[in-house]
Amino acid sequence: MASRAPATGRLLVGFRKWYYNAAGFNKIGLMRDDTIHEDSDVKEALRRLPEKVYNDRMFRLKRALDLSMKQAVMPKEQWTQYEEDVHYLEPYLEEVIRERKEVEEWSKK
Amino acid sequence: MKGIRGISKLSVTKLPSGLMIASLDNYFPASRIGVFVKAGCRYESPENQGVTHLLRLAANLTTKGASAFRICRGVEAVGGSLGVTSSRENMIYSVDCLRDHIDTVMEYLINVTTAPEFRPWEVSDLTPRVKMDKALAAQTPQMGVIEGVHGAAYKNALSNSLYCPDYMVGQVNADHMHNFIQNNFTSARMALVGLGVDHNVLKQVGEQFLNIRSGMGTAGTKAQYRGGEVRVQNGSSLVHSVVVSEGAAVGTDEAMAFSVLQHVLGAGPHVKRGSNPTSKLFQGVAKATADPFDASAFNSNYSDSGLFGVYTISQSAAAGDVIKAAISQVKAVTGGVSEADLTRAKTQLKAEYLMSLESSEGLLDAMGLQALSGGVYHSPEAIAQKIDSVSATDVANAANKFVSGKKSMASSGNLIKTPFVDEI
Repeated sequence: MASRAPATGRLLVGFRKWYYNAAGFNKIGLMRDDTIHEDSDVKEALRRLPEKVYNDRMFRLKRALDLSMKQAVMPKEQWTQYEEDVHYLEPYLEEVIRERKEVEEWSKK
Repeated sequence: MKGIRGISKLSVTKLPSGLMIASLDNYFPASRIGVFVKAGCRYESPENQGVTHLLRLAANLTTKGASAFRICRGVEAVGGSLGVTSSRENMIYSVDCLRDHIDTVMEYLINVTTAPEFRPWEVSDLTPRVKMDKALAAQTPQMGVIEGVHGAAYKNALSNSLYCPDYMVGQVNADHMHNFIQNNFTSARMALVGLGVDHNVLKQVGEQFLNIRSGMGTAGTKAQYRGGEVRVQNGSSLVHSVVVSEGAAVGTDEAMAFSVLQHVLGAGPHVKRGSNPTSKLFQGVAKATADPFDASAFNSNYSDSGLFGVYTISQSAAAGDVIKAAISQVKAVTGGVSEADLTRAKTQLKAEYLMSLESSEGLLDAMGLQALSGGVYHSPEAIAQKIDSVSATDVANAANKFVSGKKSMASSGNLIKTPFVDEI
């Protein structure tokens, strides 16, 4: 889900909300950035998270694993809403990727 | 002294913001620029002890204009180098490179001194380097003894150590560093000095970039001498010991007298593996013990105080004899010093000073420290004259000040036979 996509009109937002709910991770109390695949860039970005944000992420993941074991979901009132979702990892991930690209540029010289 | 190349073309300007600019074009192919800041470890507060150690290690971290990687590669790419030195009073950020690449490295230098970001993860990644620094320092007994004597001699300011204290390793964070920079890296306490750079270029850079923080920042506290003792018992068979008393502040006539006294007594061998015949300390102590030893006069000057005394290294069984013999040599000088010794000491001091100016590093340091402390540059000729004007009475008075002053002492090694400060 590209964050740079133009927010053109209610149509696109409506589609996004539908997709978010269809994906289903919000039913077990997760945010988008909790589900991101952990490659080396993401690992470095996670290392840089402030302690509180990192602890919150760990809590949500543990809760989701517990629910998954029980084959249960959260009560509907507690599902993460599209509007509440915070892309907390994005700035750190962007910075990590930018730095890696800078190193690659220099190595080419 | 007219033969000194280009020294007479040194220009000093003071900008309205308080920033001092000094430059000298010696037409060498390599240039060197330094930013001198009155932000040494004496300005650390009880809450942020160790922050200057971290700052020393953080010179290459990401800034607003360039990432850490870019700074490192950028400076390397032009064949330059960026370094930071810090003392109790000052921090000195310096770059050197070939004349043509001055603009590139200057940009990095300004970035590092004015706009560091101190990203939390980069700062916490410095912790292993802090530990490494401390481990290296612990390997040299001299560091321990000198830091110890400063800690024992002063109640505040100058008692702060150059190294991060153990309890603060890993605890100094980005906020501490930002606050320290905000409060201490102000224009009125900085000097931009260049060797082999055009003065107008420096002025422009100073006006544009180095006047973001004006004012005097947090005032430092006046150092209060108290006179104490620190003893570190360890298994080493060599005892390192320094006994000092309060000396003179930088720039005073008394400081000059102490420097001459230091050379009268002996400030280190002048001939490698020689017998050190001109050092009174060495000759005096040689009569007290047959074991290997070393003795030299210790002199340091700060902006509002100083320390003067004797530094001895001896076998642990002979420590007491060595220290007492060294101190009695200083007592002997209070009775007067011969004309020959005085001239010899003055020549040695002048030679040492002038030779330190021979390297571009030493010259930049001298220019920067003078720009910081007074804004007036004293040419080497003027300094040499001041040295010559020290009289035998001045030297005797300086020795007297040591003998009668309250002593501070720091020793490390096997201290069984090492006297306490009140037993000397």
